[in-house]
Amino acid sequence: MDLMEKLSILADGAKYDAACTSSGADRPGFALPMGCCHSFSADGRCISLLKVLLSNECVFDCKYCVNRSSLEKPRAAFTPEELAGLTMGFYRRNYIEGLFLSSGVVKSPDHTMELMIGALRLLRQGHGFRGYIHAKAIPGASPQLVRELGLLADRLSVNIELPSEESLRRLCPNKRREAILLPMGQIAREREEESLALCRPGEAGRFAPAGQSTQLIIGASPESDYQIIRLSAAMYRKYGLKRVFYSAYIPAVADSLLPSLDTKPPLLREHRLYQADFLMRQYGFEAEEILSPALPSLNPYLDPKSNWAVNHMERFPVDVNRAPQDLLLRVPGIGPLGARRIVAARRQGKVDLEQLRRMGIVLRRARHFITAAGYRPPLLQSRESTVRALMDPAVDRFGVEQLSMFHDLGLLPGGGDVRSLTEAVEESVKCLAAAM
Amino acid sequence: MPGGGDVGGGAQAVCYRYDGSFEGFLCCVYDSVYRRETPLCITAESDVPALLGAERCVGTDGERAARVRDSIARRISPRALELCRNVFCSCLSQKELHLLRFLLRGYREGGGICQKNGDELVSRLLSAERHLLGEAHLLKGFTRFARAEGLLVAFITPKNYVLPCIAEHFCLRLAQERFAIVDRTHGAALLHEEGRARVLRVESLRAPELSAEEAGWQALWKRFYDTVAIEGRENPRCRMSHMPRRYWENMPEMADLL
Repeated sequence: MDLMEKLSILADGAKYDAACTSSGADRPGFALPMGCCHSFSADGRCISLLKVLLSNECVFDCKYCVNRSSLEKPRAAFTPEELAGLTMGFYRRNYIEGLFLSSGVVKSPDHTMELMIGALRLLRQGHGFRGYIHAKAIPGASPQLVRELGLLADRLSVNIELPSEESLRRLCPNKRREAILLPMGQIAREREEESLALCRPGEAGRFAPAGQSTQLIIGASPESDYQIIRLSAAMYRKYGLKRVFYSAYIPAVADSLLPSLDTKPPLLREHRLYQADFLMRQYGFEAEEILSPALPSLNPYLDPKSNWAVNHMERFPVDVNRAPQDLLLRVPGIGPLGARRIVAARRQGKVDLEQLRRMGIVLRRARHFITAAGYRPPLLQSRESTVRALMDPAVDRFGVEQLSMFHDLGLLPGGGDVRSLTEAVEESVKCLAAAM
Repeated sequence: MPGGGDVGGGAQAVCYRYDGSFEGFLCCVYDSVYRRETPLCITAESDVPALLGAERCVGTDGERAARVRDSIARRISPRALELCRNVFCSCLSQKELHLLRFLLRGYREGGGICQKNGDELVSRLLSAERHLLGEAHLLKGFTRFARAEGLLVAFITPKNYVLPCIAEHFCLRLAQERFAIVDRTHGAALLHEEGRARVLRVESLRAPELSAEEAGWQALWKRFYDTVAIEGRENPRCRMSHMPRRYWENMPEMADLL
């Protein structure tokens, strides 16, 4: 089998992993700390790393996976030399920021990890590669091997994939929850140890300096958005994760336990989960502020921050000339950058609406929630006009069938019975305004 | 500062002409301050000459430039100097005049001027700076090298003059390599060999013939690019907004989509 064919098979097997960032690197000149996209694929996702499997052979039989053992398909594996040559060639031409290496489980988790470590060692030490490496730790591998892998990689990840133990048991007969959580816990501990050590090791001796991440599949199993973001929040807290990635399930394999093959991926739901996740990481929101057991589903019509705002009108209006930065961040239309600009500018004089516009604040949304020099929102502002200003145009872009992938929306139009998008949006404006 | 009022104000309708370098621009600032006049326009030698009013050539003098540079950092702030350097590399139209207005105000108002994010002039300069730095960041990713006769060559066609912003990054990353980044828009090239980098003027430069080996690398990359996209999630609009079409001409994986 030639290199072109191997690359096709092994990139195809790795593409459902959403993580492709190279962020958090501490390699001046060799990888940018904020991450760097080298291209964008036809699905609009950033390409930063050469994302491939070392081998797509697998002894596990996870129902949703394109590499499951019971599937008849061409199997391939890179030799360490092939993989190193490909990475160096791509990196030198500036196609990529580095390598993302995952693998099917060849023989056993430990054996697979040994193969991966061998390949990465050749790349780092044999070829002197100093770019970014993201490596997948294989669930069930021994701690010593996880440690060795972490000394070669910038970032490690262990994918949880299924958001509850029950789904995991049902869909991944060979994987156990502890086998996933054990390496995550070890990675968190090793990093903590290192940060507490009196003398920091040099570049070659550091353990996963860019931290760890994980991925959850959305829509292959019945967990609610509330369960999912609570799980994410717990993992950020407990394991110090840098990122949780969400991957809308795309049926690639037929199985009676899974959504049928013609099911469309829940892209709008995935989009809302990323927004909710962003609120927890960048805006200081708690999971419980975003959703609750009584309201377990994200709002398809409003982004989660706007949804919080319309449900907490008692907190507004906020005075842009006085409010602390974390309160400014709660205003729809003001992001982290906008909030920082306001705080800097108001030290130099009162800020009015025109200045806010020049600072990139989205006044169409923000004006319902703020006071500024010479401006107060009209006293008799109708609730409907406020909600209407916040309605997310993305709903249009994603299309009406995406609405059917939300459940438990309460009074909002959703489920499978929505026929016209315009009507659904109109009805939800009324419904949300009435609840304000 | 008498005569340091609005641009175009006053009776003197003079236009400055300078050599297009940052030092040359700083000498224009020097002249404006010491002659107590605000020019109607400031044009670089490579620009189309202005037709308005009398034109004066401002010579570039290293010592004067150094005095102005020093006074910006000291009397306004180091950040103001950085902003000026960045905006000078940006593609903001009439950037010299905007920068002069900014500096004349900065001398009066002090370092706080850089924080006036909502001010009309300042926000215009900040957004020009963001445009430059944003494009430089994109090009750290979108620049593509091809090996030709022992040299790694990349062509870029940026709107802003990004070479000074990306030079250090590539010199570190490709420290052991001989490489060149050719900016076709601005007729300049960064050449790095034997651990030293310099910027050269280039007039017209043809892309070298692609060797069979190099074509092989591009084919592998194209195959990876096509494979990694997930069918069922096609989103050309999202791709276009992250990676605007004008960058595609220099990216081998996009060649067939142009």
